[in-house]
Order: sequence, then structure tokens, then C-alpha cells
Amino acid sequence: MGEPHAVQPDQKVIEDLMAFGAHDFKKCFQCATCSAVCTLSNNDFAFPRKQMIAAQWGLKDKLMGDPGPWLCFYCGECSKNCPRKANPGETMMALRRYLTSAYDWTGLSRLMYSSAFWEIGILALVSAIVVALFTLPQSFGFGLLSRSGAAPLHTVMLDKFAPVGMVDMGDRIMALVLSFFLLTNAARMFYYLTRDQKIPARLYITQLPSLILHAATQKRWNGCKDSEATKNWIRHLLLVTGYVTMFTLVVVFLPWFQVNDSSIHWTSFLGYYATTVLVGATVWMLIDRIRQHGEMYQFSHLSDWLFPILLFLTAVTGIGMHLLRVNDLPMATYVMYTVHMAIAVPMLVVEVPFGKWAHLLYRPLAIYVAAVRDKAAQCSSLEVAPAGPVPA
Amino acid sequence: MDNGNLASNNGRSLLVIGGGIAGLTAALEAAEAGCSAIIIEKSPSLGGRAIAFNQYFPKLCPPTCGFEINFRRIKNNPRITVLTQAELEEITGSAGDYEATVKLSPRFVTNSCTVCGACAEACPAERPDGFNYNLSKTKAAYLPHKMAFPAQYVIDRNACKKDCSACVDACRYGAINLEQQVERKKFHVAAVVLATGWAPYDASKITNLGFGCYPNVVTNVLLERMAAVNGPTAGKILRPSDGKEPATVAFVQCAGSRDENHLPYCSSVCCSASLKHSTYIHNLYPDAQVTIFYIDTRTPGFLQDFYAKVATNGHLKMIKGKVGKVEEDPETHDLIVTAEEVLTGTKLTQKFSMVVLAAGIVPQTDGIPLKVARDQFGFAVNGTAGIFAAGCAKRPEEVSATVRDATGAALKALQCAVRSAHHG
Repeated sequence: MGEPHAVQPDQKVIEDLMAFGAHDFKKCFQCATCSAVCTLSNNDFAFPRKQMIAAQWGLKDKLMGDPGPWLCFYCGECSKNCPRKANPGETMMALRRYLTSAYDWTGLSRLMYSSAFWEIGILALVSAIVVALFTLPQSFGFGLLSRSGAAPLHTVMLDKFAPVGMVDMGDRIMALVLSFFLLTNAARMFYYLTRDQKIPARLYITQLPSLILHAATQKRWNGCKDSEATKNWIRHLLLVTGYVTMFTLVVVFLPWFQVNDSSIHWTSFLGYYATTVLVGATVWMLIDRIRQHGEMYQFSHLSDWLFPILLFLTAVTGIGMHLLRVNDLPMATYVMYTVHMAIAVPMLVVEVPFGKWAHLLYRPLAIYVAAVRDKAAQCSSLEVAPAGPVPA
Repeated sequence: MDNGNLASNNGRSLLVIGGGIAGLTAALEAAEAGCSAIIIEKSPSLGGRAIAFNQYFPKLCPPTCGFEINFRRIKNNPRITVLTQAELEEITGSAGDYEATVKLSPRFVTNSCTVCGACAEACPAERPDGFNYNLSKTKAAYLPHKMAFPAQYVIDRNACKKDCSACVDACRYGAINLEQQVERKKFHVAAVVLATGWAPYDASKITNLGFGCYPNVVTNVLLERMAAVNGPTAGKILRPSDGKEPATVAFVQCAGSRDENHLPYCSSVCCSASLKHSTYIHNLYPDAQVTIFYIDTRTPGFLQDFYAKVATNGHLKMIKGKVGKVEEDPETHDLIVTAEEVLTGTKLTQKFSMVVLAAGIVPQTDGIPLKVARDQFGFAVNGTAGIFAAGCAKRPEEVSATVRDATGAALKALQCAVRSAHHG
């Protein structure tokens, strides 16, 4: 146990958490049933009781330095068994939203999480910019369409409408910008998670495989022992494979993926897999959410809806564009292409660094740091141990 | 116990519903102040839940001594009428002037019974022994328990074999009458004391704690019977699975209480009860390791001193943190308890040879044809003129508090009777 110190409750944290979807955490009376029933919670990182009191007291520093919320995969056993109906599961969910906003140095995340107006507004703004890029005449200075001359309407020539070189460059610029925000936010997270403990540098190397393993497999989810856990995990894993396939096609292989004419290319088949998985998984998740199936879907914040809906719409418009293109319907293809971009771009720009999608980095990073901290604690206890008990 | 004097006392008697420690106290206090009292008790003998304890607060004496005194007071007091196997069927009127209809179920054994036990010896049928919370069985012809008052056998006709009259043949005193029928009696009373008491919460509803699934998970009331010398194990606390002495015992506090999914209120006595139970175990097995898992130890008033005294035992460990899970090792029938130790913030998984659930108190105010206000949890709330609740029907409380509470209720009822006598 640490030195006794005065705690500084931050009312703002409590207000934020309530705005971010935690409504019942003040009912908690610290009985610790939640940590006991949680199958992921262990001796080193017992949760969610500690997070409940940190939330109640608005202990911002403590929360920001705690990997706990990301170690939870929301099976909801804690909420089911909570004698106060304080909903620790949903509190942990709201804490993940809160931390996403707290690690974001731009403040955009907090703005969007706390206000539907801003969330929808910013998405709409980015969307409008994308539409403008494709449709406004060149006299306004940025008409992609008119810059490359009138696209033919007798047969599909996508390159004339949206030159692949320019889109590819735009893609990479977007990826760089997103990565910049996401990585700087993640660096802040890393700083908060590691600053209170002395950690030997070598542990960061030796534990690195855990970062890659958890990012790639999300296998920790299967440690939830509720009846839905394996289903939820596999479904999520499929979604990830679909998403990663699509992301790679767009960012790395765009010159092959964005086919100019109505032909079928090898990339189409990868696209078929990815879109099938994306549509299937998002629809399934949305149905579960609408039906409030299981503890995980009892409560839904706007951000929980937007993420799968945007992903679903991106996949559906992608499929639509593919169908229109291979059937050689030029105008319809161009329109669908614009719609597709008007959904995909804001989704990526808003969700990846500032929204729910940030968990793609935050979760594995937290699991990794937790493993590192765990090892460091073991090492330090080994170093102390030889001293032995103090003779009386 | 003569019903004849009731008419002359018209308007000045009390009806006490429930013959447990609260009802007995209220009836006795009122009767000793000069007012007639009728106790109606649903079961065949008096004493309620408290008489089934091994020891009770405040002095940790066995209930035999306190109840013996109370039973003698009843016997010596002509103003008290005791009706067992009796239930209130209807009540009309208002404060000062009630007419109560009481339904008397047949006992099938008359006052000629000498408690010789020949009927039970001859009886071929068995029934679960409710007094021992079904840990043992009695014959269909049975004495409720060794110090039953009235000291009279009773026959459970639901348990009888068809067309059997072995008990009638065995009884040398002609005390058995299997033809007895239900009777109804009407009483004029000025006030009613509701002392219907409590029942332990059904712990099998708390599915994560394993009661009803694993034999070595028991409840606090079962432990009381095991510890009692007149209980099913003759005072030995033994593991139900193999009859061995437990080396390690875990108490799970708030098993149902302070839980929105079960009993949202604090049952107030279970912390003290579990501390008391640890003394039972240590009296039998001084080296047994007892661990009490609690949310907060709530030992109000003098019970705090008791806590302080018991907690000095080196073999008693208090762990802050509610038990979330009880699992069983199928080989040994040992139990694996999972909790978070709140004070250190570490998660704990530990094996115990026995687990005791500190099940809470459920008020027994359902199904009584009496207009009495109840709170959201079913506890009776005073407020209806002429009806006064006492004991655990009103709030969860230990025996000594119940006795004080019942004394107060008796005074309130007496005032009501006196007022009605002046006006009537």
C-alpha cells in the first residue's frame, strides 16, 4: 500500500461520466461482489470495484493511470450480480469513453462524446467536405471531377471521375493524419499508465509479443465466462479481419482495388470476403443491440450506435458501387462512389483517433502495459524479498 | 386458560398473533398488567424461531432457560389463553372493538396426552422435522421438540399412512382422536398485537453461493440447529457431506440482505449472529480457522462489545469483501470461495471445508387478514389504530431488542384496551 495522501475529487470527472453513459455508479457501496464474480479480474488487476470508487470520487489521475477499464470485455456478470444495481459493467464502458476523451489532447473527443450535436455535426461537416471535393466545379478551386475533365457517361471510367492517384494520395494523407492523432493520444495514455511505477526498460521488449498477440486476436475476450463470450469474441474477430482486409486494400493496394472500368479484378474477391464479414457482423451486432440481448447491450450511448451503423453503411455502399460498376452504369457508379466516400472518410477521421474505434490501439496497449507492470511488480518484490522479515 | 372469563372481559382483551418471543412477551406484559390476552400460534407449540436457537443474545444462554420462565408465567396467569394451530381467519370492527374469528386446526391429540411417546414409537410414517429446518425427520405422531409448550404430541395427518391408526391403539390414555375437525372461535378484543415474526431468506435463490447445490454450504439457521444439543447432530457441527469436523469455515455475510436482487434492506442481526456462530465453532474445535467475509460489520449497541471480544480470537479472520462465488471441489466436497479483499485490493480464492451463508430476515406479514400498513419490504408499519406490530414482523432485530419492542407494543395495546373500557 502506498503513502497516505489527500485525494482530490474532481466533480468534472463525475459529470463527464454521467454524460458518457454511467448513471448508477454513485449507488456503489464497495462490497466487491463485482471483482469477485469477474472472471478476467485477477490478483494484480482486480476490477471493477476500484474503478467504481475512483469514478465516484472523480479521481482523474487514478483513472488515467489505470489499465483496468480496458482489461474488461463487458460480459456484465458484475452488473447482474451487483447488490446495488450500480451497473459496474456500464460504468467500465463509460470509463472507456471517458478515457478515450481524456487521452485525446485535442479536446475533440470529449466534445463529441458529451454532445450528440457535435458528434453528428462534425461527422456531417467532414462528409460535406468530401462531397464538395467530388462535386463542386473547379471554379471553386477543388473540384476533383472537373479537374480531370468530364467523366464519360457512356461507360464507367472511374479514373476520370476520381483519379486513383489523387485518391490514393488523399488516402495516405488521411492515414498519416489519423495515425498522428491516434499515436499522440496513445502516447499520452502510455505516459499515464507507466508514470507511477518503476519499470525496467527490458520488460517493454520482453512483453512486446503480448501487444501484438492481443491486438491481432483479442483472445482475452474469451476469458469472460458468460454464455455469450465466445460468440462475441469470434464475431468481433471476424469483423476485425474484414476491416483489416479492407483497410489494407484501400491504403496499400488502392491502384489495384479501385478498378477503372467494369472489369473484375483479383482484389474484388478480397473485397467480397471483407464486405460479407463487415455487413454480417455489424447487422448481427446491431440486432443484438436493438434487442438489448445480453448484459453488454443493455445500455447504448450514441457512439455505440454510430460506429457499427457507419461501418455497415460503408460496406453496403462499397458493395453497391461494385455492383453498379461491373454492370457498367457510369453515373450511378460515380454517385455511389461519392456517397461511399462521404460515409467512410468521416467515419475514419472521427472514430479512429477520437471515438470508439480508438480501442483498436488502447485495448492492446493497456493489456501490454498491464503485463509489463505486473512483471515489474514481481521483479521489485523479488528484489525486496532477500532482506527477509525484520527481526523483532 | 379458561375461555369463560372472556365474555366478562369484553372489550378489554388483546389478540396477539404469533407465539414467538415477541408475542409471548406482549401477551405476558399485558396480562401481568391486568388485561386478558389471547395468543394464537400457527404451529403446534410456542417459542417461534428463537426457541430453535442454540444460544441467544444478550447473554449467549440457551433459550431453554428464558422460555422456561415465560412458559411458567403463562401457566400461572389465568388471563392468558394460548391457542396453537390457530390462525386468524377474519377480523371486523375498529380499535377498541374488534371481533376476531380464529380457525383452529385439529391436533388429533387431546389434553390427556402425558408425553409418553408411545404413539410416535408405534407410528410407521415419517415427516421432515421443520423445527430442525428439515435436517432430520420425525414420526407423523410427534412432539414438536423436547421443551414444546404445550407439552403435547401432535399428529401430522398429511404424513400419515392411509387408514393407519397405530397411534390410537398405542395410546394408553385414549388421548388420540383422529376424528377431530377444524373449529372456529370468535373473540371480542380491543387491540391486536401483530407478532408474526420472520423466516430466513431462501438462500437457494442466491445462485452464485451454491446453497442447495453443494452439501457443505449451509445457512445460519441450520448451523444454530447443528450447534444445539437438542438438534439433529446433538450439538456437533459437522460437514453434511461426510459428517467430518470442519477445519476451516467461511461465513458469507449479506447472503441476500442489502441486495437489490434479494432483500434490499440490512437484516441487522446476521453480523452478530455469525460472530456468535464463530464462538460455537471455536467452543467445539478451538483450532478451526473461521473467516467472516463482510461488506461492513454491523454490530449495533452492546453487540459492538461482543464483536470486539470475539475478534480477539486468533483463529477468527475478518475479511472485508463480499463473496462473489462459491464453487465445489467435487472430489473432497470442499468449497472454493472467491472474493476481493477490499482492504488490500487483491483477489482471493480460498478453500474451506464448510461455508455458512448469513441468510437474512424476511418478515412474515403475508396472508394475514388484517388491515395493516406494510413498507415496501413487507415489514408492518404501525399506524392503523388498535393494531400494533412487534418484533421481526416490524423490523429485523435480535431477541433482546424484540423483547423490549414487544413490551412497548403491549403498553400501546393496553392503552387502547383501557380507552375502550372507559368509553364502552
